[in-house]
Amino acid sequence: MEIIKTAGLTKNFKRFKKQAGMIGSIKGLIRREYEEKQAIGNLDLTIQEGEFVGLIGPNGAGKTTLVKMLTGIIAPTCGSVSVLGYYPNDLEHEFKQQYAVVMGQKSQLFFELTVEDTLRLFKEIYGLPEEEYESSRDYFVKLFQVQDLMHVQVRTLSLGERMKMELIAALLHNPKIIFLDEPTIGLDAVASKQIRGFLAEINERRGTTIILTSHYMEDIKALCKRSIVINHGCKIYDGDTEKLFERFQKFKKITFTFSEPTLLPNLEFDARILEQTPYKKVIMVPKENAAGLLRELMNLLPTDITVEEEEIGTIVERIYQEGGDGLA
Amino acid sequence: MGLRKYLEILKIFIKTQLAWRGDSVIQILFSLTKILFASLLWGTIFAGRDEVAGFTLSSMMSYYIISSFLTQLDMSSKVSMEISQRIRNGTFSKYMVLPVNIQGYFVAMEMGMVLFHLIIYFITSVIWIFVFRIKFVFTPDPAIVAGIGILILLGLFFMAQLNYYLGLLTLKYEEIGLFLMIKDNLVAFVTGSIIPLTLLPEHFLWIMKAFPFYYVTYLPSMLLIGRLKGELGMGLLALSCWCVVLQAVIHVTWQNYRIKYDGVGI
Ligand SMILES: Nc1ncnc2c1ncn2[C@@H]1O[C@H](COP(=O)(O)OP(=O)(O)OP(=O)(O)O)[C@@H](O)[C@H]1O
Ligand SMILES: [Mg+2]
Repeated sequence: MEIIKTAGLTKNFKRFKKQAGMIGSIKGLIRREYEEKQAIGNLDLTIQEGEFVGLIGPNGAGKTTLVKMLTGIIAPTCGSVSVLGYYPNDLEHEFKQQYAVVMGQKSQLFFELTVEDTLRLFKEIYGLPEEEYESSRDYFVKLFQVQDLMHVQVRTLSLGERMKMELIAALLHNPKIIFLDEPTIGLDAVASKQIRGFLAEINERRGTTIILTSHYMEDIKALCKRSIVINHGCKIYDGDTEKLFERFQKFKKITFTFSEPTLLPNLEFDARILEQTPYKKVIMVPKENAAGLLRELMNLLPTDITVEEEEIGTIVERIYQEGGDGLA
Repeated sequence: MGLRKYLEILKIFIKTQLAWRGDSVIQILFSLTKILFASLLWGTIFAGRDEVAGFTLSSMMSYYIISSFLTQLDMSSKVSMEISQRIRNGTFSKYMVLPVNIQGYFVAMEMGMVLFHLIIYFITSVIWIFVFRIKFVFTPDPAIVAGIGILILLGLFFMAQLNYYLGLLTLKYEEIGLFLMIKDNLVAFVTGSIIPLTLLPEHFLWIMKAFPFYYVTYLPSMLLIGRLKGELGMGLLALSCWCVVLQAVIHVTWQNYRIKYDGVGI
């Protein structure tokens, strides 16, 4: 079943252009110049129920804007959008009952009160029966190991602790779709792993549809079978995550270690030597030439070989730069 | 069933008020000094006289205590502040993603804060009346008191509506400080906290009656000290009409301005 469908979805923001400095501020009082900024342009998107989709793209690409439109927080400028059969910006209760949204920097908690107080409020707002509420709460509390933090004022929590609490509050009502906009911001390795484990589990067990935005490619690679890359408000890739990374994984880094001082022969293909000592050579080659290089250098009888993938950051850079070429 | 959400919201705001104990104490002290100041002032004015503009000293003091009690009870300016701030910094979405009626949320919030302060101010006022042996003038008729109760509730609801409406205007005007200032001054004037209305000429009162604020603090205070009995029915009717009209305005405004929300921020 198609759970999310957009066609020609567009969002233009109008923002007031201010010149720097005091004079600029005063000019702005008298005459305001506005500039139009297209945050999302003509986006077609279909997501099936039960999918786990990663939304990636550089800063300012339009990811958050897309999530805001899908949850009804902002209205599209034009185009159609349907989520669970609703037009999100109608803000119907039955619709809002069925999704959850967690945005890294926005809080749903009452800072003066305890988490338990907020959770109680959410229980009533979502109309959860007592048993369901308790089992759900206890499940999360155990998962995130936050028993001791349930009865302290929220404002005294650390960033990561608060983030966990936000997640609990958002997910308490067992939503059908979860929108996560950088949910692992500020979390330590243990916590982000717990969250990853949890997301994978509910996606698999309950068939919850999940849309995840993150700059941590580890999250995306580990979780999302499908990835959508957005740049300048346009979709530049939509498909299998593994294929995406494989496609842009262009080079391999190979390290050879020798027991005797060794000289490198002349290499035929365009290999780049990153490091060279008598006993150690680090060479970067296009991945299709990796086998050839290995074959050739095997003759020199190395004592050890490591073949590494490129750094993920480099790959991502490449995806964002040339992702559009012939892929979308 | 639907009401339980709002009851819980009300409860949570009582809890937040309790978390800020310090604030409440300061507010109480402040209200005490205000009454003290008023009693000094009126004491001087009444020196050597039994009556000023039809008021005795004790009925004037009773009026003053009741009307400042009602004025302080009205917490609705917090509603417009909260909405306007959140729209400007993009966190208004907090309310948009929850399956609650947003206005209902804010009315429940107002009620929670009112309930908390009701108890506190009630206690302080009673203490005050005893300590200074004020001969408190109070209408004895229970039917009228019940009517006044409804009038006060309507008034609080109206103020919550008004502030909700002004808060929503941020969606269009960005800066609503001016609107809020106009409202605050109008309220202060019409409810008589700048000049007691009774001291104004008769035809001036007629103008005041055209404003809803007349029925929010001034009328219930006067009714409680046993005056203007004939105006209760009229007041209830007028204020109800104002509430209905404002609700319609809010509905239209929200439908039109909601799409203007651009949810700035990450
Ligand atoms: N309310 C707004 N008014 C004007 N322009 C906006 C507004 N919100 C976002 N933009 C602009 O729209 C573009 C997309 O912003 P968006 O927040 O969707 O990016 P993003 O992909 O989430 O980036 P990031 O990775 O930094 O979170 C940006 O260029 C931003 O400056
Ligand atoms: Mg973003």
